[in-house]
Amino acid sequence: MIIIGQNGVGKSNLLESVELLSSLRSHRSNRNQDLIYWNQDQACVSAMIEDDQKVSLELNRKGGRKAYKNEKLLTRQIDLIGPIRSVGFSALDLELIRGEPALRRHWLDRIVQQLEPIYSDLIGRFSRLLRQRSQLWRNLSIQSNKDQNTLLDSYDMQMALVSTRIHRRRRRILDRLLPLASSWQEHLSNSKENLNIKYLPGSKLEGEESERLWRENIERQLLEMRSEEEITGNCRVGPHRDDVKFLVNGVDARRFGSAGQQRTIVLALKLAELELIKTVYGKSPILLLDDVLAELDPKRQLLLLDAVGEKHQCLISATHLESFEGEWVQNSQLMQLDSFS
Amino acid sequence: MPGIGPRTAQRLALHLLRQPEEKIRLFSEALVNAKSQVGQCKTCFHLTAGEQCEICLNKQRNQELICVVSESRDLLALERTREYKGLYHVIGGLISPMDGIGPEMLEISSLIKRVDKENIKEVILALTPSIEGDTTSLYVGRLLKPFTKVTRIAYGLPVGSELEYADEVTLSRALEGRRDLD
Ligand SMILES: Nc1ncnc2c1ncn2[C@@H]1O[C@H](COP(=O)(O)OP(=O)(O)OP(=O)(O)O)[C@@H](O)[C@H]1O
Ligand SMILES: [Mg+2]
Ligand SMILES: [Zn+2]
Repeated sequence: MIIIGQNGVGKSNLLESVELLSSLRSHRSNRNQDLIYWNQDQACVSAMIEDDQKVSLELNRKGGRKAYKNEKLLTRQIDLIGPIRSVGFSALDLELIRGEPALRRHWLDRIVQQLEPIYSDLIGRFSRLLRQRSQLWRNLSIQSNKDQNTLLDSYDMQMALVSTRIHRRRRRILDRLLPLASSWQEHLSNSKENLNIKYLPGSKLEGEESERLWRENIERQLLEMRSEEEITGNCRVGPHRDDVKFLVNGVDARRFGSAGQQRTIVLALKLAELELIKTVYGKSPILLLDDVLAELDPKRQLLLLDAVGEKHQCLISATHLESFEGEWVQNSQLMQLDSFS
Repeated sequence: MPGIGPRTAQRLALHLLRQPEEKIRLFSEALVNAKSQVGQCKTCFHLTAGEQCEICLNKQRNQELICVVSESRDLLALERTREYKGLYHVIGGLISPMDGIGPEMLEISSLIKRVDKENIKEVILALTPSIEGDTTSLYVGRLLKPFTKVTRIAYGLPVGSELEYADEVTLSRALEGRRDLD
């Protein structure tokens, strides 16, 4: 379905609501207040899905969310995830290769979250640990406590455990994405480009994967960095320093890839994600293309159409139809959004 | 007041206004008395009207066992289970640099002294399984290790849930299933 409307009419908003129902998150903001209409106390997103099921999410300005399935309140919101899955692809994603490492971490996290909703909890715990820790350094400079090393040890221990679990999941997801993405890259480049993906963890992870080994490793690194951290206040070990490197024919695509190659990689990654989620759940996720299709050249548009085929539901937003390949328009339902002001 | 929304507040206010004056006078005196008489137990820092709380004074209770909780309301939740027969130590919060709460602001050194001085066989840490609760458990646990055995209650509780709201059965199980702090 192609959703057409002027700037600011609410196209992204509509796509965002699908994202919210499928992942309980919005890529735009984590705060309820940003997702609720100005001055209103509440927002509600509902969807009718296959088999006459209904899912809804209610957001309150004062905080708190409630999830409903067929009008029944769910005790765990996470149980809302499942009936709908989505893969988002927006113009922002085109920055994935050349942008800041944080973009790539965020991208990875969103995929892991789809496959393992509880992962959000790990990410939340880690960022809270990090904030508590950096605040601790600030407080320590005022008053010195003889047991401060014991307190730092307590943070180290928790961070080592959570870091290990995050690293492991990020590495595994990249291992699973790689064969899919590189086969798409091959396809999209007429077999000219070979894609490789390298995980660059923010902690030194030596030896084979083992929770105990990695934990001990990270704990030791945190301890080694402690005197430096005391001066800078920045923790330099952990998944918040992770990055991902993309290599095309062995060359770093971030530094040397052409703009077109970078786009191809992003497209290959998105298709790989779509395929991965489909394999895991046996059901095609909804593809959300926000403003992005028009940014692709005709050849890539057609390749994407081929890949999406009739298997995936696809919501596409755009301000006008001109930049679409004719085939896209013919194969789509059109929906015109008008502002009501 | 905590946990009371505007509607309930209004209902309570109207209810009070309908009461006879005498009843209101007794009620307000009770509040003033509570404020002036209730202080902290000098041993365990639970709320009490005397120098020491009823739990510390009760010699029937196991004097070799201390359960560490964050607030008096957590102690009350554990008491409701009727499972636990030892003593308590109320540390008065959790370590949270973001809220400006460091270990020195909590009753932690008093706990260490108490365990060092008295013959305590085991300390059970019963703190909320949040970042702050875990940090405090690990910290207190490490400081106590040289003096005694330290365990922490096993949560069947979801991460981040409050002790106060856990039902009695869950809490009893958590107490039974406690394990050594690593
Ligand atoms: N909390 C809010 N309450 C009400 N309106 C909001 C809120 N947040 C953003 N808006 C407005 O909602 C409108 C719709 O935004 P949206 O991003 O969905 O538009 P769009 O159709 O995707 O536009 P574009 O073509 O520029 O991408 C914008 O005008 C924005 O200012
Ligand atoms: Mg938009
Ligand atoms: Zn007492």
